[in-house]
Amino acid sequence: MIRRNIKAGEGKEGFPGARGFYDPEVWAKVTGRARYGIDLALPGMLQGKILRSPHPHALIRNVDLSRARSLPGVRAVLSGTGLGAKPYGIVFDDENPLALDRVRYIGDEVAAVAAVDEQTALEALQMISVEYEPLSAVFDPEEALLKGAVTLHDDFPGNIAWENRINRGEAEAAFKDADLVVEDTYALPSFHPGYIEPISCIAESEKFDGLTLHTALQSPHIVREILAGVLGLSISRVRVISPVMGGGFGGRVYGNLKLYLLAAFLSRAAGAPVKMQLTREEEFTVGRPMVAAMIKMKMALKEDGTFLARQADIITDNGAYSAQAPWVSKTLSERNDSLYHIPSISTRVRLVYTNKVPTGQYRAYGNQLANFACESLIDRAAGKLGMDPLRLRLKNCIGPGDTSVHGLQIKSCALSRCLQDAADAIGWTERKKGRGYGISAAIHAGGSIVFNPDFRGASARARLELDGRVTIVTGEQDYGQGAHGAFALIAARALSRVPGEINIVSRDTILTPFSIGALGMRQTTIGGRAVQLAAEDLLARIRDCAAELAGEEVVPEGGAFRTSSGRLIEPVGIAAFYCAKTSGLALTGEGRYVPEKSDYDQSGYGNIAVTYSFAAHACEVEIDRETGALTVHRFVAVHDSGRIVNLLTARGQVYGGVAQGLGMACSEGYIFEEGRVANPTFSGYRIPTALDLPSIETLFIQTDDPEGPYGAKGLGEIVQVPTPAAVANAVANALGEPVNELPLTAEKISRLLHGWECAD
Amino acid sequence: MKYIIAKSLDGALAALQDTGTGRARVVAGATDLFLQEQPDRLIDISRLPELQEVTLEKGLLRVGAAVTHNAASASGLIWEKAAALAEASTLLGSPQIRNIGTLGGNVANAAPAADAAVALAALGAEAVLFDSPGRFYVKPFAGLYAGYNCSRVDSCREILAWFLIRPAGPGQGSAFLRFTARGALSLPLANAAARVTLEKGRLKEVSLVVAPAGPAPSRLKKTEALLLGSNLSGKTWSMAEESASAEVAVRGSALRCSVEYRRRLIGILAGRVLSLAAQRAQRNR
Ligand SMILES: Cc1cc2nc3c(=O)[nH]c(=O)nc-3n(C[C@H](O)[C@H](O)[C@H](O)COP(=O)(O)OP(=O)(O)OC[C@H]3O[C@@H](n4cnc5c(N)ncnc54)[C@H](O)[C@@H]3O)c2cc1C
Repeated sequence: MIRRNIKAGEGKEGFPGARGFYDPEVWAKVTGRARYGIDLALPGMLQGKILRSPHPHALIRNVDLSRARSLPGVRAVLSGTGLGAKPYGIVFDDENPLALDRVRYIGDEVAAVAAVDEQTALEALQMISVEYEPLSAVFDPEEALLKGAVTLHDDFPGNIAWENRINRGEAEAAFKDADLVVEDTYALPSFHPGYIEPISCIAESEKFDGLTLHTALQSPHIVREILAGVLGLSISRVRVISPVMGGGFGGRVYGNLKLYLLAAFLSRAAGAPVKMQLTREEEFTVGRPMVAAMIKMKMALKEDGTFLARQADIITDNGAYSAQAPWVSKTLSERNDSLYHIPSISTRVRLVYTNKVPTGQYRAYGNQLANFACESLIDRAAGKLGMDPLRLRLKNCIGPGDTSVHGLQIKSCALSRCLQDAADAIGWTERKKGRGYGISAAIHAGGSIVFNPDFRGASARARLELDGRVTIVTGEQDYGQGAHGAFALIAARALSRVPGEINIVSRDTILTPFSIGALGMRQTTIGGRAVQLAAEDLLARIRDCAAELAGEEVVPEGGAFRTSSGRLIEPVGIAAFYCAKTSGLALTGEGRYVPEKSDYDQSGYGNIAVTYSFAAHACEVEIDRETGALTVHRFVAVHDSGRIVNLLTARGQVYGGVAQGLGMACSEGYIFEEGRVANPTFSGYRIPTALDLPSIETLFIQTDDPEGPYGAKGLGEIVQVPTPAAVANAVANALGEPVNELPLTAEKISRLLHGWECAD
Repeated sequence: MKYIIAKSLDGALAALQDTGTGRARVVAGATDLFLQEQPDRLIDISRLPELQEVTLEKGLLRVGAAVTHNAASASGLIWEKAAALAEASTLLGSPQIRNIGTLGGNVANAAPAADAAVALAALGAEAVLFDSPGRFYVKPFAGLYAGYNCSRVDSCREILAWFLIRPAGPGQGSAFLRFTARGALSLPLANAAARVTLEKGRLKEVSLVVAPAGPAPSRLKKTEALLLGSNLSGKTWSMAEESASAEVAVRGSALRCSVEYRRRLIGILAGRVLSLAAQRAQRNR
């Protein structure tokens, strides 16, 4: 059961026209008509498959493709040495499209085949013989850091892919002077976004050195640049078209670059379009889950509960290659420090190579992983101080107008109200015996201005169509989170129209302005602001044109214009007039939203985003004291995401994010055995089912943000951040004992309850 | 591959015997079979009316092998006479799986912790089988397993037709429980089924089966013997828990759970399922 609630008097259903409005694509999805990447086919299309390493670490002595090449129906067979491709990467270039002389994890790509059908391609894979010389492998990041550990990449001695230290204030002194110091070590496994549609693509190598790639992406423009670089093509000759996406959750910002590159190389070699599609098992074993993390954390407090300092030593498990893991590690290591007033911070974070699945990104960039540690430790401190965990948080909350310890400039912020309302809704003051209660809070940046300090904003175009409708052209992506619907509501509001009269065009790099894409809660905040500005610009131009057409002054009236003599001029008439006058052009508007440059410095101090969203989650759990089974009975999610654009889709975000967070807390996570993924299926990697989810109550505290469009802020990523910690705190409350490892399986809880040890 | 929908039991048997057109195999809901290697011909027995029957005749409950889990879970007769089986079918898989998966398939697939199989084992069911020349046999449940995921029922030659169960009479009751890592779509970490007969408030007959513990549902005979004559107190169930936990031989896996945890879990389930079965037996006057 899902209960709904919204505070009285606060923008009931969202922006004007939001009630009952949804993007037309939603219908296509629920009626089964939407065409996903997996459904696509082109005439003459070949099927591509990849031969993967069975070894966690080995040298490649020889790859023999000749037998595979001679199999009838095979159109292209490639190995790493034949490609002549440069290494590539997202943060640094540590990957090759196909392994050259060494494989670094079970699943590493060694050869690729394109054939007339899948069966033939799979047969051809069996006919490729590879001679390996196995090397010793390292699976534990702490072992990988030891002197003498085998090194994965020659360019990264000591297996450290990336490292950072942050020092603010006087942490050392604070720990000396503190009345209370609490500390613990927290461990989280790798989590996969678990989107239902596995990644697929069709690459079509064009004559004159071009490429068209059909694949659903969150950041098609950035992927286009990377592909062009590795393939040696001009950027403008690479076109990325995104079909409807069957779930992304941050896992498809860059999707699976290797798959796209291999499809492109195969298509080039075969002279035909090549489709490639990961199996579910490949999704888990070679997809890009989020880093696993080990967080050693220490906190200093005054007797009255004032936070003095936090110290953290964090190790994140990179797997064999990096993708976005350095960024994830950075957000993970910093973001929670800005949730409260903490004057001194001392953090060290190391991202470590191991011979396991390479990692990437998943909703919220690891903020949720560190949140589990930070918010658990706060509860621990509250226990030691004999203070209510809610009160301890309220005492230290960051607020509007504050600048955080890392220089984040908080404009709108309802953190303390989120906490208070979450506590009220869960019944904090009348907690029942035999149940456990937990609360946790979060901050997340919406719309990064330091992702690329020179490219901070977004742009959009608006066009008046001959039918009077308005088309918004944007490079931002709707990948299921409802961005198109939000853009329609924002544009409609600027134009005094109904949202159903707005067309949204995106998902094609040839048609749309350059964009960073759907990441870091940019879409509604930054992308939406550009849409608002484009619509406003168009409105001014329509008005001028209406006045020209009328030959007198006009004032806007409900999407049309009233002349001073009382005539009403409709958009259709204006569009026709302008089209005739210009021999075919349409009235257009442009919106560029360019946020102020950041004062961000070398030490990483400074404002990093246009807005900050806040949340507090609270829950009630019950534990079967014999088996250790955990039941989450009720869940409350209170969010400050500024003005809510569309309440229906906003709730959808919260439900989905909480469900994923509950999965992390209770049942999900990679299990490895000697570098091999032991649970590469949905039966072993246990995302929650409907039966596992509690009733989720959603509440929105609607602040008015000065930067976001009409006061709106981001909601996509933060929804998952406080969830695992809220559950962990509730479990700790029920057990009367801290928990420091996720997921909280019944077996783990049983061990905590009964103190037994595992022998096997 | 050829897919043949059998119209009669004789027709199905004849189709199995006719090996001229390649290897044949019996199929029902295909929820297990579709994950395995496919034979040349599949003989679908799921629509045979006689295999979908649930009847009480001559003092025996006869349940067709093609009865789906949803049908079993909706059968008042099964709930009344063999509650453990109805309970197992209710908890198994997910709505989609329960809609097409059958009792016969659950048993013939021979997974170590198949839910309905565990219930049938505790109920002391017997299986009625036909082979392709048309002969029929009655086999005790324990004789149906050859090894891990390997059945003595040769589904290329034999058709499992019915399960025969001694129905619960006065003072008798049964129950089934499972423990899973997720609410649906999750094979059990452990399951247990029990059938008891009471006399004067004491346990007169006890059948206790748990899984996964070895290739087949595992009867815990020592625990059964230990409990005979015991009253229905909390102490008895604690004793059952302890004894079952000590008696059972289990394996652990990184994917599911450790040996220690499974041992504990089976003990807990054993205690609980016996108590539930006894409660039902008490109500069954
Ligand atoms: C997603 C999913 C979840 C599942 N969850 C569970 C669960 O929670 N618990 C559980 O116990 N099982 C579970 N299963 C397994 C499966 O659904 C059950 O075992 C089901 O009862 C099998 O029945 P079926 O009719 O589909 O068998 P089929 O797949 O048709 O057949 C299975 C085997 O039995 C043979 N066979 C079938 N009927 C006969 C017959 N009458 N005579 C001779 N041989 C026969 C077939 O040849 C085959 O070898 C799950 C399966 C899936 C796919």
